[in-house]
Amino acid sequence: MIDQLLSELRKMRSTRTNFGLLAGMIGLTLLSVLVNGLVLSVADLRGHDNQHTLLSAGTSGALFAALIGVMAITSEFRHGTIRSTFVVTPDRSRVIAAKVIASLLMGVAFGLVAIGLSFGVGYAILAGRGIDFALDTNHVLLLVFGTLLMTALWAALGVGLGAVVKNQVFAVIGLILWAFAIDNLLRELVPDVGRFTPVGVSDSLTAGFADYLVAPVAGGLLLIAYTVAFVAAGAFVVARRDVT
Amino acid sequence: MTTTSHAVAGSPPFRALVEGEVVQAEHLTKRFGDLVAVDDLGFALGRGTVTGFLGPNGAGKTTTLRMLLHLVEPTAGSALVFGRHYQELERPADRVGAVLEAADFHPGRSGRDHLFSLALALGQTTAGDRSFAGRERAARTRVDAVLELVELSGAARRRVGSYSLGMRQRLGLAGALLGDPELLILDEPANGLDPEGVRWLRDFLRRFAAEGKTVLVSSHVLAEVAQTVDQVVIINKGRLVTFAPLAELTARLSGGVRVRAPGVVRLQSALEGQGIRSTLLDGNELLVEGTPSARVGEIAFHAGVLLHELVPESSTLEDVFLELTAEVPS
Repeated sequence: MIDQLLSELRKMRSTRTNFGLLAGMIGLTLLSVLVNGLVLSVADLRGHDNQHTLLSAGTSGALFAALIGVMAITSEFRHGTIRSTFVVTPDRSRVIAAKVIASLLMGVAFGLVAIGLSFGVGYAILAGRGIDFALDTNHVLLLVFGTLLMTALWAALGVGLGAVVKNQVFAVIGLILWAFAIDNLLRELVPDVGRFTPVGVSDSLTAGFADYLVAPVAGGLLLIAYTVAFVAAGAFVVARRDVT
Repeated sequence: MTTTSHAVAGSPPFRALVEGEVVQAEHLTKRFGDLVAVDDLGFALGRGTVTGFLGPNGAGKTTTLRMLLHLVEPTAGSALVFGRHYQELERPADRVGAVLEAADFHPGRSGRDHLFSLALALGQTTAGDRSFAGRERAARTRVDAVLELVELSGAARRRVGSYSLGMRQRLGLAGALLGDPELLILDEPANGLDPEGVRWLRDFLRRFAAEGKTVLVSSHVLAEVAQTVDQVVIINKGRLVTFAPLAELTARLSGGVRVRAPGVVRLQSALEGQGIRSTLLDGNELLVEGTPSARVGEIAFHAGVLLHELVPESSTLEDVFLELTAEVPS
């Protein structure tokens, strides 16, 4: 298992894919924290909710983390490297497990960068504009660990999603379509369902104040359940599908 | 070189596992929906043999090789290596190396990193050092060794996207050799190689086989492997056509004589009178088998048949192969 994990980690750092994703995440997080921090008035930024929004810019890391997982499996199908991977390790569930763990680790790393950026730049903006910090310690801890849990779990979930869908383009488009359109619509139109969607429960991990969401702990458990379900489905499908 | 082969025509009888047989297919069948890709295929390859796995494109070669490697699940029958299902072998990649497609690389990854990731998954160690650093060191040593072996060390740090087809084939081979296997399975390795690359591959396989190791190499062109293999498994439409030593195929080479004459039917009966078989090609053409052209001319002369053409024709191995795999009208 360690062997497969070392192999997966080597794969992850030997192409530009994950560096590109990291750059994308840094760009989006920076944009979000800068827009929120510089466009809002001083009066607005004194508000608890606006400070929350400013400092939760790092949650955008979850989407990029999910793409780490999706790419980890779909690029092997796309480029055919899955064949040599499975010839060396015929136990396919072991390969999937190694990809899940490697993606989890990458997800945590992405999460740390995202939190560092949103808090570092966010604090700097607040201090620079002479605004007092409005969030209590518990809220900050929720934001930090919620974001880390999100990036880690979404990375793992991405492996399961990619394994089920197999086609790289479809998996990436599907993920983005779900995260930005379908899930949003569900939460807008059918909040009773929307708060239980993967994105809905992820938001509950860090948002806390949006009243339609489930409690953070319930959200965390539900996101774990989603992740386990996707990974199990992916492992099941990959074990049974012919590699042609 | 010892050759274990079992000439089988049509569907082979069930054969019990024989000790030392490296590759064994028994009643092997694969259906993809309505398409029968491999149909009740059976053959067994002994240790140290170099076998050409031949058939036209779409004959089921690739599917068969993938079933041997547990990439494709058989619908029926079994595909065994070293007497077991591939996935049940302990450390299978240390015993079996495979090159399945020339393009199976991430174009943005260097050849070295590609091999490195495979070598790490193999889990080799030096002197039992199971630390992370120890595993990395063992993998690096092995990667450098196989790069040297396939003469790719110079390009190892370049992205595979910049490699020529020949370099990719050699990189694939390097990956197959990481575990120092006893059996090499190669699917159309000569596809797209220039003559120099084909020769390099042939020499490599000869050296490999000279160490008593086993090779199963597929091709849709017999000539590509004829100088390398000592036996052939020929399949067509998923079914076994021939499983024989190459020598047996060579023995089928025939020198025929093609005759064009107005009185070709009269000539045919004259030949028959001498116990010589011939085939009518069309209205005034005849193919005479196993007889020198001088003798055919002599018989024609005595039968008073006017000859327009008398052409000796020798078939090649490729002709025999094409004949064996020709469309059989059903």
